[in-house]
Amino acid sequence: MRKVITVGLARGIFWQIIGTLVGIGMVTGVRFLMGLGWKAEPAWVLGAFVGAIFFMGGVGAVTDWWRWVKGERTLEVHEIHDPSGIWRYFGVSYDHKVIGIQYGVTSLILLAIGGTFALIFRTELAESGLQFLSFQEFNTLVGLHGMVLIISILLGIAAIANYVTPLLIGAQDMAFPRLNAFAYWLAVPGSILLLSAIFFGGFETGWTGYPPLSVRGPLGMQMFFAGVFLNGWSSILGALNLIATILRMRTSGMNYFRMPIFVWSVLATSIIALTATQLIGLSFQMVMFERIFGMGFFDANNGGDPILFQHLFWFYSHPAVYIFVLPGLGIISELLPVFVRKPLFGYKWVAMSSLGIALVGFLVWGHHMFTSGMQSYLRVPFMYSTLLVAVPTGIKFFSWVATLWQGRIRFPTPMLFVLGGIFVFLMGGLTGPPNGTVSTDLHLHDTYWVVGHFHNTMFGGYVFPLFAAIYYWYPKITGRRMNETLGKLHFYLMTPAFFVMSFGQMRVGLLGMRRRIADYDPALGFDLTHLIVTIGGFLIALAVLIFFINLIYSAKRGSVAVDNVWESRSPEWQVPSPAQMHNYPEPFEVVGEPYDYGLAGTQYVVFHNAEVSKGSEGSKL
Amino acid sequence: MNARRVLIASANSLFGKGLEKLLVQKHGNQKVAIRLVSSMQETLQILNDWLPDLVILDYDDHTIDKTIFLNRFVSGESEMRVLLVSLQSGGAPLIYDRRMISAQEAEEWLGQSLQDFPDKPNKAGEKKDGGMRHYLIVSVLVGVFTILTYLFLTNAGLLPVQASSQAILIDELFDVHLFLISFFFSLISVFLIYSLIVFRRKTGETEEGKYFTGSSKLEVIWTVVPLGIVLYLSFIGSKSLAEVSRVDPQALEVNVTAGQWFWRFEYPDYGITSQSLTLPVNGQVLLRMTSLDVIHSFWVPEFRVKQDVLPGKNLVKELRFTPTVVGDYTVMCAELCGGAHAYMNAPVKVMEVDDFDNWVNQELAASSSDPEVRGQKFSTEKGCIGCHSLDGKPSVGPSWKGLFGKEEILTDGTKVVVDETYLRTSIYEPNLQVPKGYPANVMPSTYKDLLNEQQVEDIIAFIKTLQ
Repeated sequence: MRKVITVGLARGIFWQIIGTLVGIGMVTGVRFLMGLGWKAEPAWVLGAFVGAIFFMGGVGAVTDWWRWVKGERTLEVHEIHDPSGIWRYFGVSYDHKVIGIQYGVTSLILLAIGGTFALIFRTELAESGLQFLSFQEFNTLVGLHGMVLIISILLGIAAIANYVTPLLIGAQDMAFPRLNAFAYWLAVPGSILLLSAIFFGGFETGWTGYPPLSVRGPLGMQMFFAGVFLNGWSSILGALNLIATILRMRTSGMNYFRMPIFVWSVLATSIIALTATQLIGLSFQMVMFERIFGMGFFDANNGGDPILFQHLFWFYSHPAVYIFVLPGLGIISELLPVFVRKPLFGYKWVAMSSLGIALVGFLVWGHHMFTSGMQSYLRVPFMYSTLLVAVPTGIKFFSWVATLWQGRIRFPTPMLFVLGGIFVFLMGGLTGPPNGTVSTDLHLHDTYWVVGHFHNTMFGGYVFPLFAAIYYWYPKITGRRMNETLGKLHFYLMTPAFFVMSFGQMRVGLLGMRRRIADYDPALGFDLTHLIVTIGGFLIALAVLIFFINLIYSAKRGSVAVDNVWESRSPEWQVPSPAQMHNYPEPFEVVGEPYDYGLAGTQYVVFHNAEVSKGSEGSKL
Repeated sequence: MNARRVLIASANSLFGKGLEKLLVQKHGNQKVAIRLVSSMQETLQILNDWLPDLVILDYDDHTIDKTIFLNRFVSGESEMRVLLVSLQSGGAPLIYDRRMISAQEAEEWLGQSLQDFPDKPNKAGEKKDGGMRHYLIVSVLVGVFTILTYLFLTNAGLLPVQASSQAILIDELFDVHLFLISFFFSLISVFLIYSLIVFRRKTGETEEGKYFTGSSKLEVIWTVVPLGIVLYLSFIGSKSLAEVSRVDPQALEVNVTAGQWFWRFEYPDYGITSQSLTLPVNGQVLLRMTSLDVIHSFWVPEFRVKQDVLPGKNLVKELRFTPTVVGDYTVMCAELCGGAHAYMNAPVKVMEVDDFDNWVNQELAASSSDPEVRGQKFSTEKGCIGCHSLDGKPSVGPSWKGLFGKEEILTDGTKVVVDETYLRTSIYEPNLQVPKGYPANVMPSTYKDLLNEQQVEDIIAFIKTLQ
């Protein structure tokens, strides 16, 4: 019991409950003094935010800063030595690798929850007619599936970026370790609030939260907004930290074009996250204010405009798609040369294409609004800018193909997921342009075609590369390899199941299946396809379950992999696994190109301490 | 003058023999003494005993460990030169002079120098045999697969019936997309799958892949060509949009009102209000659409076009299309509008012009004097029956069949007999007396503005008939 109390997470949640009550008390007290009675909505909303602030205090994420305020000295980062053992993962740690794991586990938990929501409503959709869900339950599950998985993706990206970036660039830790911990822990009360929406009557708007529907919905709507708002903060702070780390903390000799390519994608993603996330926070905050204070931002009868919300919302939420996929594409580019045993084709072009996608991504939000009723002349420039995204994306595909060309390709599990990611993302990319030209989008908008399209981009750009990254870096984290047989089973089950699911979705969408409907007319003849799509969904879930079993099983039982298991040139594999606190005993120097596989006698990095470089296999002269 | 001692180290006997022949031809037998070695051990031995002036090392020979060789080379004292020659990587050979370089320099040279080697001579050779063959096979496959994929996609019945002139235009653009999808799908996946099969590592192979880091020429090509395609696609996309939104000043005007969860269609030219959209074939229709509550969206898949319907008197949105095929269709709400969004459908009937005129006359005649008939009309027009079934099946709200005179249990546990007063209250203030099993705040409280007193009485009269 005592142990539980000393654990940060338990303390945090305890204080969050206290804080929520305090917030509710504040509102109710003020209203009481004004002679007003109990009103649930403002009380719970303030409770939510005060609760989150109390959580941060309770968990200990602001302790050091508070010490600074008091003028006390705290340990420098390199002086800190975390205790080993599992409990450090449940409290505040400044070690970027611990924070990376914390992000990762939280992300996988949310992945499981969000996926389960999908299974529930997919079961409902397996045949026409309303089986066991009410409209409200269905709509809530659809919205939560979307937003929970978006948060899961953001945290998953933060996990990989946090764990890997400092290792790849030879930094001891992130630029701001305390901010790093703060950003992670902020996501915890945020995610709790988001999930709590289900207990506050849910919300019926889908993840987009369009007013005026979101102005009318039950209290769950506010919890949804509050949860996303806090996660947005977490994302902004995390991005800031990554940018500072990448710009300032690279080891000697690592100029920009000698950074591992994944670092480029993290940089591009972080630039978007740092500068665009404010807009979704703003748009959600405006709806919260409209609900609580009756401000008429989006109410046409009060001089507002519901389309304004959509502009603000998509100004983040479209670039957000690139936040989700750029790191995944970076992982593909990073891992491909290792398993092809060949240099990455056109390194500079691939690096610049990430920045290109990030830049163009800011100019295309209007393509979500072709049917919205915005000024109709705006649709044409948005069509041009939207289709432009195909150019930098194409560069990536062509470069990957050229990287594979005349390689000596190996197929361990991470490589399978890299290849799966390329194929699935190709489907996502190819199904994009029909949504980009206005007149075809008039048919496609808000249909299951779009559902199929973005599940392809999300799986190809995030889910497959995420699994690739986990299988690839797992030995670095644990010193053991994940089981290959289970890994291959995972891959060969999930990939066909996914294609069956998404092709089914696209087919019914083209034929007239709308998004986000709890029931469909049996006369449309979609029953069989929907049943198949549902089966595909369950097979994906089964495959992910196998992955989870493998993940836990291999931590104790996996084959020991201390050395450079993938024969990579990358610096993190030149030291024994698992990686130690503060990463490298000696700083390394970059003396060559990162991906010169096939060029004998070259090295990417040199450790000046001979003891260290003994473990390196790939750097033999 | 003593003969120059030249040591040639390579496991490949042709390498040594060839060089020996060249050297002898050039310098003659007296000037050079040549020894060939093929193993690491021999090399080191001779290096010590024979003290050669020049060592020619086969860079591609992996049996000779260059690290050890280099250490030995650096640690010696007599004057010696090393010539590294690579047949695979090509380019100019590298000469190291023992007197000139330090150990670290040598290591760096070994590490970096070969990157500068343009590997042109060999690559060209490779292309002629291996490379060209690969490209040829893949190009043919890409062509074949493009055609097959395109044929499959265009014959798979991907889109619903074309029932408007806009649908024909939009499907033409779809066709361009399908061709581009077929081509790029085939291009990338054929290259990928071919690589995965042909360039996979065979068992026991330890070699690395072929070394090349990029090609600016290729990169520029696959940037500029897609850019051109994309601009062209945007251009024909703009033209398509312009044609799809072409205005016919003679268009039939219909005012569309959307609400949770019903559609209402008013024909201002005829003074008709209807719960279904009835249209004459081959004439453009102009919908002026507004919503009473949240955002809805008008979509008939067979017509292809879609337009969101916004609340707010100043936000009336227009949509034009020209139905071309007589038949029955369904307009569906395509923007999530809460609750019974899935059921927010209304029939669309496209008929011959004569039939349409008949329909107009019938509708005008049907303004009945019977309150029950009027009530039935209002309850469909105002969307009541979207949530209240007439056949006893429970839906979003209680069914109206057998409702009048029934005893209902309310959410607070009290019982109430459904009479005219209760029905009136439930229409005007839906959240006041909610029956058990139906959540509050589902039925909109807008009906007191939507319906006048007479209409409410007519609807109640209609409910009474449903026993």
